[in-house]
Amino acid sequence: MTTATISTQKPGGGLKRLVERYPFLPALLIALVLLALNGLYQPRSISFIGITGLVKTYLALMMLAIAQTYVVYAGDIDLSVGAIVSLVNVVIVVLMEKMGGSGFSVVAALGVGLLTGLACGIVNGIVVAALRLQAIVATFATSIFFTGLALYVMPVAGTPAPAAFWRTYGGRFFEIPFVFYAAILLAIVLYVLARTRLATQLLAVGDDAQAAFQSGLPVTRIRIQGYALCGLFAALAAFCITGDTASGDPLVGGKMTLFSVAAVVLGGSALSGGFGTVVGSIIGALIIGLINSLVFFVGTPSEWQNLVQGLAILIALMAGVLVGRRARA
Amino acid sequence: MTATTQTQGRAPSPMLTFLKQPLVVALILIVALLLLGETLSPGFASAQQILRLLIVAALLGIVAAGQNLVILGGREGIDLSVGGVISLSAIIAGNVMNGADSAIVPAVLACMAAGAFIGLINGMGVTLLRIPPLVMTLGMLGVLQGLLVVVRNGIPSGFAAPGLSRFVTQPFLLGLPGIIWLWVAIGLLMAFMLTRTVYGHRIYAIGSNEQAAYMAGVPVRAMRISLFMLSGVFAAITGICLLGYSGSSFANVGEQYMLASIIAVVFGGTPLSGGKGGYTGTMAGALLLVILQGILTTVHIDESGRQMVFGATLLLLMLFYGRGRAMRG
Amino acid sequence: MSKLIMRGVSKAYGATLALRRGDLTVEAGEVHVLIGSNGSGKSTLCKVLAGSVRPDGGEILIDGKPVTITGPHAAREHGIGIFYQELSLAGHRTVAENICLPDMPGGIFVDRKALEIRAARYIALFETVAGEGFSAEAVVENLRADQRQLVEIMKALATEAPITIFDEPTSALDRAQVDRFFDILRGLKADGRSIIFISHRMDEIFAIGDRVTVIRDGETVGTENIADTNPAAVIRLMVGGQDELAAGASAPPAAATDRKAAVLKAENFSGKGFANVSFEVAKGEILGFGGLHGQGQSAVLRAIFGANLAAGGTITLGGSAFTPSNPRTAIRRGLAYVSGDRSRDGIIQGRPIIENATPIHYLRQKLQLARPAALAARVKPALEALHTKFGGLSHPINSLSGGNQQKIVIARWLIDRPDVLLLDDPTKGIDLSAKADLFSLIRKLAEEGMGIVLYSSEDAELLNNADRILVFNGGSVRRELTGADRTRYNLYQAAYEAA
Repeated sequence: MTTATISTQKPGGGLKRLVERYPFLPALLIALVLLALNGLYQPRSISFIGITGLVKTYLALMMLAIAQTYVVYAGDIDLSVGAIVSLVNVVIVVLMEKMGGSGFSVVAALGVGLLTGLACGIVNGIVVAALRLQAIVATFATSIFFTGLALYVMPVAGTPAPAAFWRTYGGRFFEIPFVFYAAILLAIVLYVLARTRLATQLLAVGDDAQAAFQSGLPVTRIRIQGYALCGLFAALAAFCITGDTASGDPLVGGKMTLFSVAAVVLGGSALSGGFGTVVGSIIGALIIGLINSLVFFVGTPSEWQNLVQGLAILIALMAGVLVGRRARA
Repeated sequence: MTATTQTQGRAPSPMLTFLKQPLVVALILIVALLLLGETLSPGFASAQQILRLLIVAALLGIVAAGQNLVILGGREGIDLSVGGVISLSAIIAGNVMNGADSAIVPAVLACMAAGAFIGLINGMGVTLLRIPPLVMTLGMLGVLQGLLVVVRNGIPSGFAAPGLSRFVTQPFLLGLPGIIWLWVAIGLLMAFMLTRTVYGHRIYAIGSNEQAAYMAGVPVRAMRISLFMLSGVFAAITGICLLGYSGSSFANVGEQYMLASIIAVVFGGTPLSGGKGGYTGTMAGALLLVILQGILTTVHIDESGRQMVFGATLLLLMLFYGRGRAMRG
Repeated sequence: MSKLIMRGVSKAYGATLALRRGDLTVEAGEVHVLIGSNGSGKSTLCKVLAGSVRPDGGEILIDGKPVTITGPHAAREHGIGIFYQELSLAGHRTVAENICLPDMPGGIFVDRKALEIRAARYIALFETVAGEGFSAEAVVENLRADQRQLVEIMKALATEAPITIFDEPTSALDRAQVDRFFDILRGLKADGRSIIFISHRMDEIFAIGDRVTVIRDGETVGTENIADTNPAAVIRLMVGGQDELAAGASAPPAAATDRKAAVLKAENFSGKGFANVSFEVAKGEILGFGGLHGQGQSAVLRAIFGANLAAGGTITLGGSAFTPSNPRTAIRRGLAYVSGDRSRDGIIQGRPIIENATPIHYLRQKLQLARPAALAARVKPALEALHTKFGGLSHPINSLSGGNQQKIVIARWLIDRPDVLLLDDPTKGIDLSAKADLFSLIRKLAEEGMGIVLYSSEDAELLNNADRILVFNGGSVRRELTGADRTRYNLYQAAYEAA
């Protein structure tokens, strides 16, 4: 007897459901195509060593993209991640040097680095969520502050990191590069994080903050926690950078902020919040890396490389947004 | 939504309402900062210094006009590519005029055309492909930065025509240089456009409720594209003037204007959510920002301290403006 | 001892007093109806109780003990659950996650199993009526409007709160869904739970309510036992001294106009949500669209106006063919469309009244300059024709009540008169006196020669105002009611017969 209301439901295609479940699939496709192209122009690039090099160079950006993802989940944005990277970078390098560069000093410095990242994240969270300032401009302001702090800790670039640190980062254990262990550990951490209440709550806040608040969720606290998580992963990104460059530089992260945002979008997350995956952001960071290497391998004249990279990233961004929406619509 | 038995209620005092207007806040702060500057370093508020600050503020204010329009148009409107447009415009202008007064007009036309074209691409990406403005203009920024490298390597960089330099730095009328008058003219034009033209009303309409505007026959897409084009044109004008200010163009002169223009808009009382605000406030916002920077460069502290104070002050000032609504009404 | 007592609750937004003196007493084991015209403050009163609005004054007692509700979370701890009229769902999350959102099972990690079990319990309650595509794993964004409303109901039920507020929970539901929901409410009542129920539908109120409290202009004006009162008495209490005409007993409709040339003609018009719809509207005629909510009436109107895509068929406007493409071209061809969802389709929030009244004038007259004085001269008569109450043309539209906002939206079409006026449930959520103003104007416009299509979700409005009624069911026209056939019985019969 039920009165049949017209079904406005879209025909649930298999592809649609797949992309809904795994929003990073379009990004994965783009990444695979780029990887294949890399291999075509430079067969060595898809060798074990080539891949190791790629991961080693872009692990920092992956970390930073992950960091950005957690705030984007909640519909926020953090334009200070690059500055946090710089700050943590100089803090740990200076500490390691002051404490003599032993194994213990490295561990202690990393601990302090994590706390620094966490503190920066909490400051951002308070400024944006508790004081209700607009995220884009507020985190830009904090980024200036964090950069100032970094300059205070280390006025000029160049202090080297102790060998104990970068040798480990660039080294091998049982014939397997350290970065792979780091990547596996990262995967486990991310898997665990995805199952937390916080992940679901961040996404719910990003969907509709007012609705989440009315549902009784502590919206402000959740957003601050998102920024805190972001700060922690920015610190991890700083560790990777430090391992890669083996030195301190108070401006090292500056350029990375916008790339972290691009990686998140490339990975299929919506900047408006409520929809996305961390895995997508990692793939997004890889896409940026693969584009950069491909442009190099194709033999683009050096002065044209930046333009071609820029165009390729713009096209990938557009393609990602379009494919993701087409599949979901 | 509900609410609304029209009654007297507790109306806030008119004085307080007046003082809380962003424009008034900005003007009060400007005077306070000038007094502070004069105390910290006598001569800061001298006529000559103020004139110099006004010129710098005009450079920022002109690009902020375009940023203002894009933000007013809503739908997370923002233009991160203005920095790239400014740099590009400065280079084009330098190369076209290359010191010849006779080439000023073609140079200006070329720059404005380039700015409009970049805005057109941005606008089409945002409307036709529905790429979020932040993503689209961020990608465009990457392209422009690449383009800068190409242009710089290919053609010898030119320098400003004497006429242009005079326009920006030498007194023209009532002791003020042409650029100040240009800024005033833009201010009047913007105020007229936003309050007394159908185009202006339509900007607010799409910024406040795009769907309602569409249902009332407003050509939403064409409007939005035109706003991005205007933003490109205003950025190009700033680029030309910047060339006149510094004599010759150098790498990435425009970079600093990207977020500064957004902050000027926010300090002027236009929230990033759009549909509300105006340009008069933005002019005050630009002036405020420039004076703040001016004070920080005159006082003798380290670069690190300067950055920290600048970042913290920005945050403090933001507390006066457009804080988000509390969750609990 | 009463379960809940609210006394003298007040709330002002800036200079606007939303609630002057809200009183409410609710017993355990009763369904307590809260009624009042739009903007009377009943939603505000509920939001104060649910913690999402901070009151300026008054006291709240639960089980006789005074409590301070500091936020939605605190409200839940005091045993208050709420269904929000505007829904409080996370679109990209699943049905199950939404149901459990206020209180996710588990500690740091989500206990998926417990979550699924708990959600399944509430989904099962509506299993037979939820319709196709509804499941625990379905993403809320992909659901129909009625299904989303069901999720919000389940979410409110899942709080298992001793006091549960339902703020217009049935607006998108069909008859079977409403019946199921009322059965559940009766079960809760039998368990001694207190229900606060807000609805504009008199039949529902008398079907489910035990007592009714009436709020008018931000003040509680009385509480009655449902058994001891009748709809007319309740309406009298609601409108107070307002226009008697507003009480629902409007003037009988004018005799059907003789069929002159059709100003609007649709033939085999099809699109998303409707198929093969054919009709004609004559100059001076008010054509009604009736039937249950969401049977394609609104979709047809939006497609003619170019706001939704049309798939096939032809539209003729004033004798020449018209292909709907977007509202802009439709407006230029003399069509007008008023949506019932004014906050989505109508008002430009935060902007002055005058700017809200002029966009159509700009377009029709191809204006480039907006001269305030010239515009005011045009806008004022249009607003007066609707008895619009406003402070000044430069005041923001948000300063007006819902009914007056809708009048401004309608007035924008009166400056340059269209040939055809499409009204898509235009009185949704506006108060009775505004409705009366609106319908007397519509009749006048028809008499002046406009062709009008009126879709209304309130049967009485259709029966009282339309010259002919097309009853929609399942996306197509089931029956045409003319002359003496225009009875409630015929309307219901055509609306409810199996599609």
